[in-house]
Amino acid sequence: MASVFILAPFLLLIILNLPFKFLRRGIAFWLAAGLLLIQILSSALHQRIAAHIPPDLLRLFFSFKLSLDTLALVMLFTIGIVALVALLVARATMATERHKFNFINLLLISLTGMNTTVLVTDLFSLYVFIEVTALSVFVLMAIEKNKFAIEGTFKYLILSMIASIFMLTALAFFLLSCRDISFSGIQAAFSAHSNVALLNVAVMLFLCGLFIKSGAVPFHGWVPDAYSEAQAAVSVLLAGIITKVAGVYVLLRLFGTVFVVSANLQNVIMFVGAASIVLAALAAFRQGDMKRMLAYSSISQVGYIILALGCGTPLAYLGAVWHFFNHAIFKSLLFVNSASLQKKFGSTDMAIITGMGSQLPVTSATSLVGLLSTAGIPPLSGFWSKLLIIIALFSAGKIAYAAVALLTGVLTLAYFLFLERNVFFMRTDMTLESKGGVPLSIKLCEVLLAAITIAVGLGFPFILKILHYTWL
Amino acid sequence: MPDTFLQFLVMVPICAGLLALGIPRRLKGFFALLASFAVLAASFLIFGKESSLKLGEIGFGIALNFRLYHFSSFIVAAVSAFTFFSALYCLSFFNKSNNPRQFHAYLLLSMGFTNGAVLADNLVAMLFFWEGLLLVLFALISQSGSNAAFKTAIKAFVIVGISDLCMMAGIALTGRLAGTLNITEINLMPQGLAGIAFILLVIGAVSKAGAMPFHTWIPDAAVDAPLPFMAYFPAALEKLLGIYFLSRICLDLFKLQAGSGLSVLLMSLGAITIILAVMMALVQKDYKRLLSYHAISQVGYMILGIGTALPVGIIGGLFHMLNNALYKSCLFFTAGAVEKETGTTDLAKLGGLFRKMPFTFISFSIAAVSISGMPPFNGFFSKELIYDAALERGMIFYLAALAGSFFTAASFLKLGSAAFLGQSRQEHKEAREARPTMLIPMITLALICILFGIFNNLAIKKLFQPVLLGSLQSNHFFDFHTNITLVVITLLVLLGAFIHHLIGVKINGSGLRAVDHIYHFAPFHKIYVWQEKKYFDPYEIAIKLGRRISDLLWRIDRMIDWVYDSLVTGLVYTFSRTIHRLHSGYYVVYLIWALAGAFLVMLFAFK
Repeated sequence: MASVFILAPFLLLIILNLPFKFLRRGIAFWLAAGLLLIQILSSALHQRIAAHIPPDLLRLFFSFKLSLDTLALVMLFTIGIVALVALLVARATMATERHKFNFINLLLISLTGMNTTVLVTDLFSLYVFIEVTALSVFVLMAIEKNKFAIEGTFKYLILSMIASIFMLTALAFFLLSCRDISFSGIQAAFSAHSNVALLNVAVMLFLCGLFIKSGAVPFHGWVPDAYSEAQAAVSVLLAGIITKVAGVYVLLRLFGTVFVVSANLQNVIMFVGAASIVLAALAAFRQGDMKRMLAYSSISQVGYIILALGCGTPLAYLGAVWHFFNHAIFKSLLFVNSASLQKKFGSTDMAIITGMGSQLPVTSATSLVGLLSTAGIPPLSGFWSKLLIIIALFSAGKIAYAAVALLTGVLTLAYFLFLERNVFFMRTDMTLESKGGVPLSIKLCEVLLAAITIAVGLGFPFILKILHYTWL
Repeated sequence: MPDTFLQFLVMVPICAGLLALGIPRRLKGFFALLASFAVLAASFLIFGKESSLKLGEIGFGIALNFRLYHFSSFIVAAVSAFTFFSALYCLSFFNKSNNPRQFHAYLLLSMGFTNGAVLADNLVAMLFFWEGLLLVLFALISQSGSNAAFKTAIKAFVIVGISDLCMMAGIALTGRLAGTLNITEINLMPQGLAGIAFILLVIGAVSKAGAMPFHTWIPDAAVDAPLPFMAYFPAALEKLLGIYFLSRICLDLFKLQAGSGLSVLLMSLGAITIILAVMMALVQKDYKRLLSYHAISQVGYMILGIGTALPVGIIGGLFHMLNNALYKSCLFFTAGAVEKETGTTDLAKLGGLFRKMPFTFISFSIAAVSISGMPPFNGFFSKELIYDAALERGMIFYLAALAGSFFTAASFLKLGSAAFLGQSRQEHKEAREARPTMLIPMITLALICILFGIFNNLAIKKLFQPVLLGSLQSNHFFDFHTNITLVVITLLVLLGAFIHHLIGVKINGSGLRAVDHIYHFAPFHKIYVWQEKKYFDPYEIAIKLGRRISDLLWRIDRMIDWVYDSLVTGLVYTFSRTIHRLHSGYYVVYLIWALAGAFLVMLFAFK
């Protein structure tokens, strides 16, 4: 069954690029949307339908193994939702049909890359598909050939290359020390305690590469430019899911289940997480552009996941996975909000757009949900995942880190309320001209994501029960 | 007489008062007069009878029980009589220009509440009526509607309210210790916790009577409240009720022992109240304010008398309570007459009124000599009894009471000569004798003063001696024995006061300034000045203290605000600016960060 998640987008990509003109019209959008809906549904209902699915088709052609565990399902579900939202936003905001079609193609490539990254069970394939995803991102970011977007892409490219070098080097070390670089092989090497020094170096190199990919402080230099200068739909896709899967998911997978992490390294991971939380939140304060502020906020929230990962207890891991999902949802929501501002006023500069709450009631209300959830206000989804992380830190005796995680929530609330006051609640700037209404598809995305945020928050016991069976 | 008759004494005035709130303004006066007359007649009908009525149990020992016996019937009759006189007086005191909206209604309500408090045989039921009086008090003072009157009303409300709270605590404690709230069933010794309960109850009672230090609203009310209020409330009603309850506390609820610490405490309170209030009264230059300080000072005698815990002292105190109500109401009524005719009560602007208002002057003179304790008027006899008891308990208390007498006489000589004697003023040419409805209460009260003086034995035997029946060894006191030595000393003191007045007039030039040498006497002068600045007023002190505390808290609050508003945000902004500057946008910088970060990760992970 797992291979369907990989083959379907790949086949759709090929079909769309067959030389038939009608494929380049609206049909491409509907096909892609249908594909994503199927992905969302099948990952959500996997337990129910697994029995009726024929065995893995891909095995017939390739020899690599896939695994479809709960973590992978959560990822596939999240990928489906965010990609669908990005697709809808792209339909509303992309300038020309050609751009839209290109976007769909690139989305399908990155979807293939992400789905495979989530499903593979060996380190080399993992690396390859991270790169496949990254490749599509470079093109996506530069899709409108905007000068600043290209600058952002360049920065991402450079740092991404450094990350690739780190990871490749690490791969070489793994090959040297374990010979078998499937996850189980690496686990076996760790438990055999042979070549410990080499393995440690490899782990650290891989860690540094992944820090760059996920944009933790101080490896985050590319993040603000990349997120804020990209086209609106690309921002949603990039900030919402791609960098999260390529960086944070891999961290969760490898450092949660595959590698054996020494106490020292745990401390380093936690420190990087805490530094990301605090410094990015502080940096977000000074941002005048909504998307840049969201970018810094994204770094800060990734910090929570990394901090929980470093803590290493099952409860913290559960919190990290859940926060991953929540963050993907509410950060996508906030980027969609910025997209609707961009669409309506042609800017996301908070100095220009003031007091637009009355003109954008849906955007205003949903952004409030998104930012309150980000800041961890009960009963929204962000509150519960942060609560789990803080409880886990506290019970693991990391009280200082728990305090940092807790207090930065105040900081988060502060800069987001600043955003909210400025953009939505202040006196309306009458001189600002509207450049057209917000399309229905964007409104739909906003409402959908806000509804998920609220529903997850309110359905806390139910979701906790599902995740609980898996990790506790 | 059926037992249910009792509730009419309470319900009739309360219902009439509520009704009076709604009837036309012209009719209010007559209506109040009629209602009070009806209650007066009823109270004379039941005078001296024994009766009790249980209206119902609420739970927790709280019951609406009434009990009529000799003492309470006598107080009810007195209250009704004073209400009647006040209502009569109000008929012509209030005219169209100064007619307060609801004075008469509150007059009736206060009568009802007082009757209820007097008759109630359950502490909580009594407290209910007692607190009703507090509300009426507020309403009556603020009748004129001016800002100053409202402030004074709040002051009175707060002071009396706080002492009522003390009483409430006392009632709770008493009920707990005695196991019952029914007054007739309570019989405690004031020791230990019961002593605290006793003190709390006494605070409620004496502050109702207007003793120090709960007196400070009375002089203010004298200026701001309508005058019949002063004649009725602080002069008569509150004395009757407060001292009635004080004697119930000392005689029935608790057994106050002569010579116990609490007795000495009460006597000291009485002595201090006498001296300090009379010293303040002495130097007042306003008719009403001067009288109001005497209303405080005279309470001292009653508390002193009851505090001795000797039969002669208690009877003296109770007799003095009635006498004081008589002559103090009369004096306030004369003040009202003077104010009505001349438009002022400032003694500096008055003079020579005895020709224009002879009957008022005569009433004033009788009341004044009564309050000064001149034989054969009633004040003399009650004071003699108190002197007798005080001397038995300690020379110092006797001397304080005697000094109070001296200054009382001096201040009334000053008041009389300033207001009624001397040169007639040009601007008061229009002044004439007061209206008959105002004269009748004055003259009646003055006549009763004389009657009680002449037939003092009868009054004591009929009214006060039965109070002690069953409470103290009543055979200890039979009737008034003239102690020649004490009488001579009293007369000498009064003579001294008169001579002092004559000398004072000689030195200072006029009757008004007859006591100015005391005001300017070095050790007193400062105290007087401080008092005029209200340094000794607990209410003002509390308000000042409250302001200080709130100011301090405000400063602390500012500091906390500063921490949040300036310190925290400042720090956040400083960090934030620094971090913002570090993000220069050059990819090289970011590259260096990433590589340095990787280096550090290696460094720390390998350690």
